[in-house]
Amino acid sequence: MFLGLTVLLSAPSLADAQIKIEVPEPGGAGIPIAISPLKNLGGENQRLGETFADVVARDLDLSGYFKVIDRGAYIEGPDSLSPEEINFQNWSVLGALALMKGGFSLDGDTLTVEVRLFDVAQRKQLGGKRYHGERKDLRRIAHRFADQIMLFITGELGPFNSQIAFVSNRAGGRAKEIYVTDLTGAEITQITRDRTLNLGPSWNPAGNVLTYFSYKQGGPYPHRLDLSSGRDSRLYPVVGYRSQWSPDGAELAVSLDQGGNSDLFLISPEGRLIQRLTEGSDIAISPTWSPDGREIAFCSNRSGNPQIYVINVNTGRSRRLTFKGDYNTSPAWSPKGDLIAYTTRTGGFHIMTISPTGGDPNEVTAGEDPSWSPDGRYLVVSQRRRLYVASKDGRSVKQLTGGGGDDTSPAWSSRLE
Amino acid sequence: MKEGSARKMRRVRGWYWRLGCVLLITVLMSGCPKKTPPPSEAGPSGGLGPGLGEGNIPPSEGDITKGRIGGQGEGGPLQDIHFAFDSFELSSEARDILRSNNDWLRGNLQAKVEVEGHCDERGTTEYNLALGAKRAKAARDYLVSLGTSPERLSTISYGE
Repeated sequence: MFLGLTVLLSAPSLADAQIKIEVPEPGGAGIPIAISPLKNLGGENQRLGETFADVVARDLDLSGYFKVIDRGAYIEGPDSLSPEEINFQNWSVLGALALMKGGFSLDGDTLTVEVRLFDVAQRKQLGGKRYHGERKDLRRIAHRFADQIMLFITGELGPFNSQIAFVSNRAGGRAKEIYVTDLTGAEITQITRDRTLNLGPSWNPAGNVLTYFSYKQGGPYPHRLDLSSGRDSRLYPVVGYRSQWSPDGAELAVSLDQGGNSDLFLISPEGRLIQRLTEGSDIAISPTWSPDGREIAFCSNRSGNPQIYVINVNTGRSRRLTFKGDYNTSPAWSPKGDLIAYTTRTGGFHIMTISPTGGDPNEVTAGEDPSWSPDGRYLVVSQRRRLYVASKDGRSVKQLTGGGGDDTSPAWSSRLE
Repeated sequence: MKEGSARKMRRVRGWYWRLGCVLLITVLMSGCPKKTPPPSEAGPSGGLGPGLGEGNIPPSEGDITKGRIGGQGEGGPLQDIHFAFDSFELSSEARDILRSNNDWLRGNLQAKVEVEGHCDERGTTEYNLALGAKRAKAARDYLVSLGTSPERLSTISYGE
């Protein structure tokens, strides 16, 4: 799943032109963009060129920044690639402000992709990339270039070359298994096959290890699964509900439950107890790290109902963060550090964000169990048992999964290599 | 400690095989529309435990209501108890039910019981799991206070 992919940075001939397109907000009308299928420059399989365009178009739609112009309307085919060959008039009449064009060649299993983004009005290249990989890397290359398009247009790399782990009963029966999807929501891989309850997935920073909680040995014991080797092991001999890797990957914060009393602990990735963080008979669950690794937000009912708290890992001192509402759970600290998202219950579930220093929360969208994108601009949430991707201000909300079963507890990975 | 709990559960199944007399109490909160404990916990007959949670009578929000007959399905000797929303406090009605369950346990000393904690969709996943554990513990502790040996009781939370 995480195999080698080499990328050559843009050559001088692909030098970026000045961006003339105004940077929009996600959820607005969206920048009209045309995503042309890639030209086949050698080897067979024209479908790869269309698959690439499908993935990029889906990512850009999900971003909320773009309005992808339907491919059926395109006048010009994939063959013209250079700014001299492209008839920009054919794209401006469609209303396109930006245009993706490129080509691929397949030599045996070796795939080369060269792809560019153009400013249609200026008739200039905004940026270009050349990628080398294997045939199976095509979708990942497409996600990477979608991230580049986000960089060209918004000034910040996109989050689409990543994965989302989640819990679903889509295999049928009463079991819940862990699944992983790419950001199109179309490439879904079943990870566990235990036919029991598997809950609370969480990624290590490198994105090649999942921790989760499985009932396969009786109660919900923490497990770790190395995705590259397939090795699965019980992480700690006490049941619990959620773990989260520290930003440096050196330790995990985990909620463990000893006979009906949940508390937060730090354990090593090998399952050695490092430190106990909370004491007492109240519920303490759902740890989430600040990006600097100094603090952990969590959920506790110590006030009499569930609220979000922040604890300093070194001093052990904690402070209450949420005061509005009587049911605030499942915090998620943005990788940018500026916001903590959580679920509030007010006649249905809603995702809120609040500054780590407190203040008034803002509503994002309906849903529960938020998880941040690696760029801190989006949240994946579970809404009526389907996964949705929302911009952090809630102006763009797009469905990611649905139909196969009840999809819950999403966990967004960091960017893949 | 939890290792012990896992062993205990396997022993529970062993009792079932030998005596056909294992009972599970499902501790339910009011308003549970549907409970589906996992297949791996299914008893050998398929009628044990996991089938328990299904088909509960959905009561009105926040009410503490009478559960249906638990244990081994309709007519079984053990009854479910219910909790108010976001609560693991035993109501007087829940205590009455647990007292009658305890009476039955006193007359059936070979039986072992796994107390299941459940919550419903009105809560979020992880909080439900932690709350379910507190509910199971509350029921277990009360049974112990009435004289049931802790050795005969184990707890597990299934959350939603």
